[in-house]
Amino acid sequence: MTAWRTRAAALLREPLVHFLVAGALIFVVLSGRPPDTGERRIVVDEAVVTGLVNNYVQAFRRPPSDEELDGLIRDYVRGEVYYREALRLGLDQDDDVVKKRLRNKMLAIAGAEAEATRPSDAQLQALLDKDPGRYALPPRYTLEQRYLGADTPALRAAAKAQLAALKPGADPALPGEPFPLPGQLQDSPVLDIATQFGDDFALALEKAPEGVWTGPVPSGFGLHLVKVIRRDRPPPPKLADVRQRLENDWRSAAVRKAEDDNLNALLKGYDVVIERPK
Amino acid sequence: MRRKVVLAALLLGTSGLIAGCDQVKNAVGGGAAEVKETEYPEKVLWGDTHLHTANSVDAFGFGVRLSPEDALRFARGEEVTSTTGLKAKLPRPLDFLVVTDHAEGLGATKALYDAPRMLITDPTMRRWYDMMHEGPEGSQRAMAEILDARGRNDLPEAMLNAGDAAERTKSVWKSNMETVEDYNEPGKFTAFHGFEYTLMQGGNNLHRNVIFRDGADKVGTVAPIDPTYKATPDEIWNYMEAYEKATGGRVLAIPHNSNLSNGLMFELTQPGGGPMTAAYAKRRAKLEPVVEITQIKGDSEAHPFLSPNDEFAGFGVAGWELSNLLGNQPKTPNMFAGEYVREALKRGLLLEAQMGVNPYKFGVIGSTDSHTALSTADEDQFFGKHTGNEPNPNRAMQPQNLGTRKGRFGWHYLASGYAAVWAKANTRAAIFDAMERREVYASTGPRMTVRFFGGWDFKADDLKGNWVQAGYKRGVPMGGELSGGKKGAPSFIVSALKDPIGANLDRVQVVKGWVDKSGKAQEKVFDVVWSDPGKRKPVGGKVPAVGDTVDVATATYKNSIGAPTLATVWTDPEFDPAVRAFYYVRVMEIPTPSWPAYDAVRFKLKLTPDVRVKQQERAYTSAIWYNPAKS
Repeated sequence: MTAWRTRAAALLREPLVHFLVAGALIFVVLSGRPPDTGERRIVVDEAVVTGLVNNYVQAFRRPPSDEELDGLIRDYVRGEVYYREALRLGLDQDDDVVKKRLRNKMLAIAGAEAEATRPSDAQLQALLDKDPGRYALPPRYTLEQRYLGADTPALRAAAKAQLAALKPGADPALPGEPFPLPGQLQDSPVLDIATQFGDDFALALEKAPEGVWTGPVPSGFGLHLVKVIRRDRPPPPKLADVRQRLENDWRSAAVRKAEDDNLNALLKGYDVVIERPK
Repeated sequence: MRRKVVLAALLLGTSGLIAGCDQVKNAVGGGAAEVKETEYPEKVLWGDTHLHTANSVDAFGFGVRLSPEDALRFARGEEVTSTTGLKAKLPRPLDFLVVTDHAEGLGATKALYDAPRMLITDPTMRRWYDMMHEGPEGSQRAMAEILDARGRNDLPEAMLNAGDAAERTKSVWKSNMETVEDYNEPGKFTAFHGFEYTLMQGGNNLHRNVIFRDGADKVGTVAPIDPTYKATPDEIWNYMEAYEKATGGRVLAIPHNSNLSNGLMFELTQPGGGPMTAAYAKRRAKLEPVVEITQIKGDSEAHPFLSPNDEFAGFGVAGWELSNLLGNQPKTPNMFAGEYVREALKRGLLLEAQMGVNPYKFGVIGSTDSHTALSTADEDQFFGKHTGNEPNPNRAMQPQNLGTRKGRFGWHYLASGYAAVWAKANTRAAIFDAMERREVYASTGPRMTVRFFGGWDFKADDLKGNWVQAGYKRGVPMGGELSGGKKGAPSFIVSALKDPIGANLDRVQVVKGWVDKSGKAQEKVFDVVWSDPGKRKPVGGKVPAVGDTVDVATATYKNSIGAPTLATVWTDPEFDPAVRAFYYVRVMEIPTPSWPAYDAVRFKLKLTPDVRVKQQERAYTSAIWYNPAKS
């Protein structure tokens, strides 16, 4: 669980959130109708008082005195009156702050539900099957490389001539330039090779024959001679190999999907008309 | 787009040989697989040790809504949507990341934002609350006020309420810890536990990032602690020592933005005055083996005031040299010496001569300090300091004053930097250990590969053989120490390789610092190897400028000048065996466009003439120290 989920869950438990959501719903349902007597009744029951006391203790590390509690209750009533009158007068309408706040609450509710569930193996397997390329383990290479220098036509020609004259099994006599990347790579994933040498170099390996010097192979630095000694292509990954990545992807996608689904479901209840200024 | 196609091709291959290779053993993926350390570091790892998400008080206030999980996904190369709705993806993933949200008020702004308004009784906090809910601009204004109040030590009591804050910190810390564990994949990507300890005296920056070597089992026994308002890091050091003692784990701290400390980061005295004690120096050297030398809020290598003979000093000091972090105290030139890393290394030698211990024997790394949850240090891919500075037409020239009135503008922010680590494996343990032995270097963004070995018998011929192995066998790598008593002068293997998708190199320099016979600290910059040596002969001891292929109108450059790789064996021509010294390497790229130049093309802007449109990016290595033999 991330902080986000913990906070969202905490938010869900907040009575005030329930209250606000319920309030908003009631308002939506009742708007346009004459107020009934329920709306004109403010009950400060035990639950409300306990809530006020708890909040006070949280902020001041001690319970309120009787006098202070009276003050809290008076303030609560004042807040309720203003809140309800404001709703009656429609002061929440076209208020960006109110809209944003309610939108955030709706999002938190939608996201928190998705996080509570853990993905099953079947769900993870389905995710893996949907995009095996994303989870594929990269081919690995054992190879030797020799750096010749910056890419120039002359150097290209020299390298080609050198390779053409090379006897099978012999090493090229062209001296390499001092080069800080390893001359021999052992069982190195091709993605690592791509970040070290550049994409073109890694792509060229794909077609290089095994066991012989080939080139010149261009990299982000210039030209190389390369001998692929061994190329291993791992089998398609099994669930157990990439479980953590799948879980991470599932979770991060699930929250977004829940939010989208929720929005789409709600959108179905609306006709959206957009009129752009001409 | 091309990168996507390439990746797919690399992963799947073109020849359909995927099936039928059961004999191949599968070393990665399971997470639990044992990762072997190599005999010596073979591959440099790139990362960011300094990144903020929505859990940081200020980052949230500045508008970011991305979580540590988003930050980790982005660093691993996934596409994420930035707070302002832009798609963001690193051209190349990072190898490691430390999410370092501010310990102080961890999650507090978010909590304030999420809180029911009626619970906020403090009138100031209510005002901030309302401003934050107005939208991004109000939020940024609120944040500027909050930071200002923080600097004046004048935050509302309710915001600092110790009990609440500690509880909130613990709960945020604990849930982040699980996320970090989920994304840590030994051998492939390392996610560290860490936090920022935002020590600040007035508006003077004494911030440290705290990084743990261990997993949740040990780190989970502690929670981040709030900084004090004093000028001394004693309390965080106590915390670190207590953690190590109680858990058997390991932790280190990385100071940053010495350039905004108004002279307090690298003092010659004990913090608060009086002679520095050996105990203090020893503690500092042990617990703070690395310093962050470059980041978005400026570069702290060298200042022209301190290094008038270094034509490359003063990279990214514009705007930052005016005052301290919060801009509430102007800077005077006498403060620079306590702010810049080269000077600190020299001060370290002076202090060592006096009391036998060097408090400033540290290595260097770069990092972003980005507050967008997006670790970006490439000029053409820069997501800015905070959410208000994500790519938009105004960011380059807007004032950035954190509640003060003058001086800093958007373009003063640097798209910098990253941490390069010579580790023996991509694991928490191996990367942490490399930091401890200072085998690390800093880049202002480009991923240049830099090797630096010091020894007593390196010859030019060594470069023809396996010189990396020789470097480790017969010498010490960057961060190491050479002891006197040998014949002759020390020799150094120096090698730099361009970023495979970046600009060519202009030159490689060795920066030497020493304490002369009269007890004064000195410095000198040597050009040791450069591109086109045939045409570029040194004049008055300096190699002429490399030239400039930048076309500002299109924000492009050409690699028609410079060299892809530079290497040499260099011997100090002025070596005096009786004199303590340090040597570090600075690698200079050819000029390239800066991020405002890319912005100008993207948003069709007219930049004012003062805006930096091109620059020579660079890498700084940790030093190698020379200690004379005791007579």
